[in-house]
Amino acid sequence: MKGFTLWLTGLSGSGKSTLAREVEAALLERGCRVEVLDGDEVRQNLSAGLGFSRADRDTNIRRIGYVCRLLSRNGVVAIAAAISPYREARAANRAAIGRYVEVHCDCDLETLKARDPKGLYARAAQGEIANFTGISDPYEPPEHPEVVVHTGREDVETCVRRILRTLERLGLVPGVDAEGYRPEEEAEIARRLEDLGYL
Amino acid sequence: MPMKVLILGLDGVPRGLLERLARAGVMPSFARLIGEGTLHDLRASIPEISSVSWTSFMTGANPGIHGVFGFTDLVPGTMRIRFPRFSDLEVPTFWDRLGRQGLRSVVLNQPSTYPVRPIPGALVAGFVALDLDRAVYPARHLARLEAMRYRVDVDSRRAQSDRTHLLEELEATLAAREAAVDYFWTEERWDVLELVITGTDRLQHFLWDALEAAEHPLHERVLAYYRAVDGLAGRLVERFRAEHPAGRFFALSDHGFTRVRQEVRLNAWLEAEGYLAFQGEERGALSALAPSTRVFALDPGRLYLRPASEALRTELIERLTALGFGGEPVVRAVHRREAIYHGPLAERGPDLVVQAHDGFDLKGTLKADSVFAAPATMSGMHNSEAFLLADHRVGDNLDIAEVAGHIEALFP
Repeated sequence: MKGFTLWLTGLSGSGKSTLAREVEAALLERGCRVEVLDGDEVRQNLSAGLGFSRADRDTNIRRIGYVCRLLSRNGVVAIAAAISPYREARAANRAAIGRYVEVHCDCDLETLKARDPKGLYARAAQGEIANFTGISDPYEPPEHPEVVVHTGREDVETCVRRILRTLERLGLVPGVDAEGYRPEEEAEIARRLEDLGYL
Repeated sequence: MPMKVLILGLDGVPRGLLERLARAGVMPSFARLIGEGTLHDLRASIPEISSVSWTSFMTGANPGIHGVFGFTDLVPGTMRIRFPRFSDLEVPTFWDRLGRQGLRSVVLNQPSTYPVRPIPGALVAGFVALDLDRAVYPARHLARLEAMRYRVDVDSRRAQSDRTHLLEELEATLAAREAAVDYFWTEERWDVLELVITGTDRLQHFLWDALEAAEHPLHERVLAYYRAVDGLAGRLVERFRAEHPAGRFFALSDHGFTRVRQEVRLNAWLEAEGYLAFQGEERGALSALAPSTRVFALDPGRLYLRPASEALRTELIERLTALGFGGEPVVRAVHRREAIYHGPLAERGPDLVVQAHDGFDLKGTLKADSVFAAPATMSGMHNSEAFLLADHRVGDNLDIAEVAGHIEALFP
């Protein structure tokens, strides 16, 4: 199987890392080789020392894109989960990588502020964090992403299935026949039956 | 004037509850429909679960013919289970049969029709449907359903800990179903229109206690849901009669419901009695069973014997019939396969099917090590007490598989 890059972009807290891990698990089950590059982790090693100016953000995204390109051309599914706020940097990665699928994790700011598990939006609103995307720094939503998931009102399973269906339709991962169940569907059906006490 | 049929499914609503709520003024539309028509007892499938009962309804056939015996079925000749899918059915549905006469059916939220395949008309699959885009036929309706925030089911996991959220979801889902009916009513040409409301089953699983007890803090809210169901039924019937005065109306449930007092885990009983053993520490799957296992259960009361023998069946029937809890008998009946399943696929069915008295909820879990347990999250359980309501006399104590024949007979 050929590799490709699945790039999840969206505001902080919009579910990129969660979806990356769920898609990773589903693709591993289908026999794919998968690597997740999580923005928070990358900033602690590959991009340690970079700040949040536009130039530093673009450098960070270019570096993640570079690793994704290496992985993709070696048969690995590279999943990047990074805010990646600027269209230009994302477009450059798309052009360099080729086999590239963009997922916009779309979640409205009010929901993110209400969730705010790390308290970042509250701190940003009080001016304690500078250059915070969506508050004091811009986020340029993708114009033509392959997938949009509405993480504010759709559950994780729905979002994951939409991503996987898109990958199938693009011929990037193997699917199953139209009237059968996919492995992750079987797992989900089992979960639902268990929730109702039928397993 | 051409015949038209309107069918309303109320998943899991027992006859007694329908009558009680109708009498109490909670369901005035149904009170009127019962007064004007005929309310019949209806025998649910065995076991009395939606996948088997609704499949029997839609095919008009016994499980030995349609081949669905549970929410999970054993892959013949193996120790693996699989989830039945709509395309597994080897017999046509009554919508298919009517289609051969050029008649069209619009079917909304029908359980056990996922992933959808084409039918003569339109179909929106119900439980266990996951992806809406594989639950809607023809696909051209998908965008409209998405726009009306149509959803197949509520979040039963969250319902276990958050009943208020469950009620909110039930109300929203019901509203979306009505919007979907309104849309299909005019968007598709139809001779049969069927809507199944599954929220009643979900509510009764999690809130039967609130339904029964007037002092329960959610009692009024629960009644409000039945009022909403009744309101929807009333509007549909009124519109149907106005547009199709010669048409026929049916309402039915696929099984009944009652209060659960104890879960009865049959595999734990089989283990304690020496019929079943695990290979090691691992539990939870058929693959963990030791080769010495002679009997195992799948949910809710399906027993599979390895190998099957009449002596072992007789022994199990005797011992299960004697099973008691707190001085009460647990088991109402143990059926031999050939007594309840007829047809070419009957051999795929369980060797024995156990049915319990109301209050004892049979479980096929392989994870439990105690036979009896108080229910952890649910206060309601299925029983056989289904109903059939029609605006004309159909027949008492019909099997749910016999209803389709009566509907088809309306189209000579």
